[in-house]
Amino acid sequence: MSLSSASSTLLRTVARQQLPTSRAAVTSCQRRGVADAKSSFESPFASANESGSTLKIPNFSKYKSNSSPRSNQVFSYFMAGSLGLASAVGAKATVQDFLVNMSASADVLAQAKVEIALGAIPEGKNVIIKWRGKPVFIRHRTQSEIDEARGSKWEGLRDPQPDEDRVQRPEWLVMLGVCTHLGCVPIGEAGDYGGWFCPCHGSHYDISGRIRKGPAPLNLEVPTYSFPEDETLVIG
Amino acid sequence: MAGLANVIYSTFIRKNTVLLTTAFAGAFAFELAFDITSNKVWDSWNQGRQWKDIKHRYMVKEEEDEE
Repeated sequence: MSLSSASSTLLRTVARQQLPTSRAAVTSCQRRGVADAKSSFESPFASANESGSTLKIPNFSKYKSNSSPRSNQVFSYFMAGSLGLASAVGAKATVQDFLVNMSASADVLAQAKVEIALGAIPEGKNVIIKWRGKPVFIRHRTQSEIDEARGSKWEGLRDPQPDEDRVQRPEWLVMLGVCTHLGCVPIGEAGDYGGWFCPCHGSHYDISGRIRKGPAPLNLEVPTYSFPEDETLVIG
Repeated sequence: MAGLANVIYSTFIRKNTVLLTTAFAGAFAFELAFDITSNKVWDSWNQGRQWKDIKHRYMVKEEEDEE
C-alpha cells in the first residue's frame, strides 16, 4: 500500500512535471508545422516565393517584324482600306440587285407603250385610246383653239398652269381622260369652256384640259409622251 | 523600303478623308474592271453560242425575205 502510494505519488509528480514540457513541445511542433507549410507548399499560382518570376518577360524577339514601324503601319492601314473597298463594292451590288428587282421587266415595259399614227387624226377632232387600262385623250387642236388656250389668263385658275407646260407641240394635246375629282371619264367638246365636261359631278375643263368650274381640284393629268417621228406619237 | 512606306503613308493614309476617298474610288474602278473582265470571260467561254454571235446568220436571211 505504501509502495503503491509512493509509486502513485511519483507518477503524479512525473505527470505534473511532464505536462508543461509536453505543452511546450506541442506548441513548438505547431509553430514549426506552420513554418514548414510556408516553405514546402507550392502554389500553382505565383506565390510570394516566386514573386520575381512575374517580372521575368518572355523573349518575343522571334516574332518581331524586321521591317520598319512605318511600313507595318502602312500594311495594316492598307488591309483596313481594302476591307472598306470590298465592303463598298458588296454593299453597292446588294442595293443595286434589290432596286433592279423592283423595277419593271423588259416585257412589261414593252407593253406599257402605245404608238399612234397622228396622220389619221384630222384637225379639230378628239381621239380616245386606251393606255395602261386608262383612256387617253388626244386632241388635234385648231389654230383658234391654240390661241384661246394660250390667250387666257392662267394665273388665277384653281390649278394654275400655262398651256406651254401642258403640251409639247401646241397642235397636239395629250392627256389622261380621268377626271381628277372622282375618276369619271369626261365628255369631249362639251362644257362651258369648249373643252371637256365631266357628267358625274359637273367639272368643266377648258381646251387645254385645265379645271375651270366644278368640284375637280386639279387639271387633267398629262402622261409622258414623245414624238419619235413627225407623224408618230408614243405614249409611255 | 521605308522611304516608299513614308510616301504612301503621307499620301493616302495620313488624312482619313483621303483614305476613304481612295477606298471608294478604288471600289468604283474595281467594280468596273471586275465587270468587264467577267463579261469577257463569259463571252469567250460561250463563244459561238450567244445570240450576238449567230445573229448575222438569221438577220441577213430576214432582210433578203423582206426584199
